[in-house]
Amino acid sequence: MNTTAANWDQILFVVLPYAVMFVFLLGTIMRYRKAPFTYSSLSSQFLENQQHFWGLVPFHYGIITVLSGHVIAFLIPRQVLLWNSRPLRLYVLEISALIFGLLTLVGLGGCITRRLTVSKIREVTSLLDWHVFALLLVQVASGVYVAVFHPWGSSWFASVLSPYLWSLVKFQPDLGYVAALPFAVKLHIASAYAIIGLAPFTRLVHVLVVPNPYLWRKPQVVRWYRPSRSTPGNS
Amino acid sequence: MNPHSCRYWSEAARSLAVVLVRLRFVLAAAAIFLFLPAGAPAQDAAAFFKQNCSSCHTIGGGRLAGPDLKNVHTRRDRAWLKQYIPNPRAMMDRGDPYALKLLQSAQGVIMPPPQGLTDARLDEILNFIEAESKSGRVWGGGGISDRPYTAADLVTGRGLFTGTTPLSKGGPACISCHTVGTLGGLGGGRLAPFPQYDLTRVYERLGGRKAVGAWLSAPATPTMQALFKNRPIQTDEAFAILATIEDAAANSGEADAVPLLDFFLMGLGGAVLGLVTFGTAWRTRFRSVRGSMVRGELQRGEE
Repeated sequence: MNTTAANWDQILFVVLPYAVMFVFLLGTIMRYRKAPFTYSSLSSQFLENQQHFWGLVPFHYGIITVLSGHVIAFLIPRQVLLWNSRPLRLYVLEISALIFGLLTLVGLGGCITRRLTVSKIREVTSLLDWHVFALLLVQVASGVYVAVFHPWGSSWFASVLSPYLWSLVKFQPDLGYVAALPFAVKLHIASAYAIIGLAPFTRLVHVLVVPNPYLWRKPQVVRWYRPSRSTPGNS
Repeated sequence: MNPHSCRYWSEAARSLAVVLVRLRFVLAAAAIFLFLPAGAPAQDAAAFFKQNCSSCHTIGGGRLAGPDLKNVHTRRDRAWLKQYIPNPRAMMDRGDPYALKLLQSAQGVIMPPPQGLTDARLDEILNFIEAESKSGRVWGGGGISDRPYTAADLVTGRGLFTGTTPLSKGGPACISCHTVGTLGGLGGGRLAPFPQYDLTRVYERLGGRKAVGAWLSAPATPTMQALFKNRPIQTDEAFAILATIEDAAANSGEADAVPLLDFFLMGLGGAVLGLVTFGTAWRTRFRSVRGSMVRGELQRGEE
């Protein structure tokens, strides 16, 4: 490998992850302390709800599943490799991951199209939002490309990238795992770092304030002030 | 740009800059701690040769993927070797005739420069090769049997290749990153660059069983080195894997793109099914504020 490529690897896969994690931690804490009410996805559902459904629903179901898969392969790589030790199970896992990856891509495409084509939504889209969309598009498209053209990601992520990420966690970065990976894989990793670094300054912070209590809180009774169909005239 | 988010952005950036300035000494110390070269682990020249060179070279054991290095100091002078080894491609790009001759004899495969090679380490390696050449000892090239493989070897090899039988030292199965033409199903992985991911014709690229066996014992690429340096493939396991590769070379062509297309189409079909499911599950969803109000009014009017 030539020196320039080695230097870039050092910057992108050793310096950048520490830098973005630092910015992410500091930025999210500072924003929560200084402007807690900006912790929001700034939903535009109220302005347009037709295209919104076909963008947001597939995107969120897709990204949550795919991200969970990445986290599982990072945390328990041996168990993932054990599951993949039967080719049929490997294929089932990979096809499922591709399905959710494609749903994410379709959903993201829907979100971007909606922002571009609906004037009300375009009006409330900041320059920073467009940067976030561009980065997400690079991230998701490169992820789908990697899944299709560099299979089998669940196995080699557990074998190659999980030890690399753990080497970062242990402050003993080992570039050997990533130095010779294909360009698309490196792009996918680097753009993930870029998204993490940018997240504290964007609407992406909403991932930290997902209303989890919705899952276990008691049901709320909602009363509508409108005529009932069964008793006309009764409000 | 939304004025609110613009104001927030500038405030956040300013606050972050203030914090970074306040923490400058802590950050500088952390950076020095993190990014100072840790120093190459103590490793003698013999161990370095075994780990980084013996996948392709022997000293007196004959040619593998690369030439036998016995008496290499008599074929080229040290200055030339010290220019070539860290960056073979640069020598070839300059049109050096001997470098081009080496490229031709390696069937177009350019030697990957060894990792962690300093000028001092390079001198140590060259001294080591010179001393071993003079001693007459043979380094590398042995271990893999010449006997024909059996049906049992093939079964073992296929298990090791696909992962149904784990490698004894815990290394990952070949299928994670490589494929061969006889795998069936959706085939094997394709992480390695084209055409290295397909091992069906690897004997032609690297020069036969002995060369590929040596490679499996001490892989030279950075990714495989990282994976197998502490979990080496054992000689009997390497032989069984080679049986799978030889069987594929004898009984099939190289892996084609059909499994990839099948894989993509299955994924696409699943994604379409997912979209249909979303549409069906939320068919009674709230669609718009004004639309539902107008429909409600019309309904009331009809009643």
